[in-house]
Amino acid sequence: MIMRCQALLGTFVEISTNQDDSQALDKGFAAVKQIQDLMAFHCPLSELSQINRWAHQVPLKIHSWTAQVLRIAQEVHKQSNGLFNCGVGHRLVSAGLLPRHIHLSKCQLGGIEDVHFLDSELITSPKPLCLDLGGIAKGFAVDKAVESLMADGIKSGCVNAGGDLRVFGQSPRSIYIRNQIAPMELIDIGSLQNGAIATSSLYFANRDQQQSHIINPFAPDESEAHIHFSGSYSILANECVYADALTKVLALSSALNHPCLNHFSAQAIRIAA
Amino acid sequence: MVMNWKPNPFAILGLAMLSAPIIAQAKIYVSAEQAQKILFPNKQLTKAPILVTDDLQERMRLASSIRYPFQGDRIWKAADGSWLIIDEVVGKHEMITYAVGIAPNGSILGIEILEYVESYGYEVAEAHWRQQFAGKTVKDPIKLNQDIQNIGGATLSCKHLTDGVKRVLVFYDLALKAK
Repeated sequence: MIMRCQALLGTFVEISTNQDDSQALDKGFAAVKQIQDLMAFHCPLSELSQINRWAHQVPLKIHSWTAQVLRIAQEVHKQSNGLFNCGVGHRLVSAGLLPRHIHLSKCQLGGIEDVHFLDSELITSPKPLCLDLGGIAKGFAVDKAVESLMADGIKSGCVNAGGDLRVFGQSPRSIYIRNQIAPMELIDIGSLQNGAIATSSLYFANRDQQQSHIINPFAPDESEAHIHFSGSYSILANECVYADALTKVLALSSALNHPCLNHFSAQAIRIAA
Repeated sequence: MVMNWKPNPFAILGLAMLSAPIIAQAKIYVSAEQAQKILFPNKQLTKAPILVTDDLQERMRLASSIRYPFQGDRIWKAADGSWLIIDEVVGKHEMITYAVGIAPNGSILGIEILEYVESYGYEVAEAHWRQQFAGKTVKDPIKLNQDIQNIGGATLSCKHLTDGVKRVLVFYDLALKAK
């Protein structure tokens, strides 16, 4: 088993496979790096930062991957009746969880629903935006890395971006989740073949005494925006981008049978604390 | 191919705790030698250890937020002026060994994680705790559990590593650039 790890997307990204093909693995990491360069809120020069700065003023030409993520974000937003919304960046900035690059205007900020596609890769917005793709881009990056590996002839493997992971090919893998009560223990929750799992939990936020990064987009003000919960919510789906996004729907609704999950053929797992 | 998910029936009942608590989880990704091949696929590197004087140590400490000393014995050099430096970052909960490849012009060619040892509590920061992992190999797993590969869950932050890389670049500037 070859297992490599690089620090990307603010976390540790692992790629493991049985085939010793260094170039294919390099390209898998490069795909993740490209998503980081396009969609990092942390980077003032990323395409996402350009969108937040300019989309309400001029039409912006964006990369096909950014367009894809925005469309999926809109799809999940629609199916979850607005519970999943990337337009919560300002809440995370106020809480000190994201850096303050741009002056956030006092006027009403828009949400993901305000992104209008003029053509497949040209967007604009009637309102200023403060999108954060932190709740979806990691999953998307896992999918793109998997696609890259498969295109390079890697038959089976696993890509894990800080806990959001996808297993591909013939070999099933055991999946472990942290036990929230006794964090030194891991729970073997089952075995996964050809699928993705993503998890939302506040385990590290609580440990490091940080504010919750799970934001209720309907909260009228700051004080009610951060959602606190114990335990963890995981979503199994065919693709990691959906697993990643849907964990927020699950964590916010705590409804294991939310109709949105069924729409995306996803399953929910709750580990109680 | 369709997704195939086989839940662990015990996990559903909340009974699937591992019988013995894991003291530390360790992931050993690549060796120093493999990291060289990854970062410098076609280059011959020679080991070039540097004696890190107290003065140099102090200047690095001032320029980065890291307090524990830098070891100068895991440094390699290529004929064209590229460097490979292996260092560790020690957080409250984890120890990460990583390699930084530096191009002849001083820019970062790549960063590869070699090992990740995670623990709970505050013991990681203590020298004697780290000592037990020094020089370990895959074949010698002291108190480490390496069988557990796919850990889902809350996202770990890699911000400590950023501090580490900063320190390596400071070291390059102070000690290697002129060589």
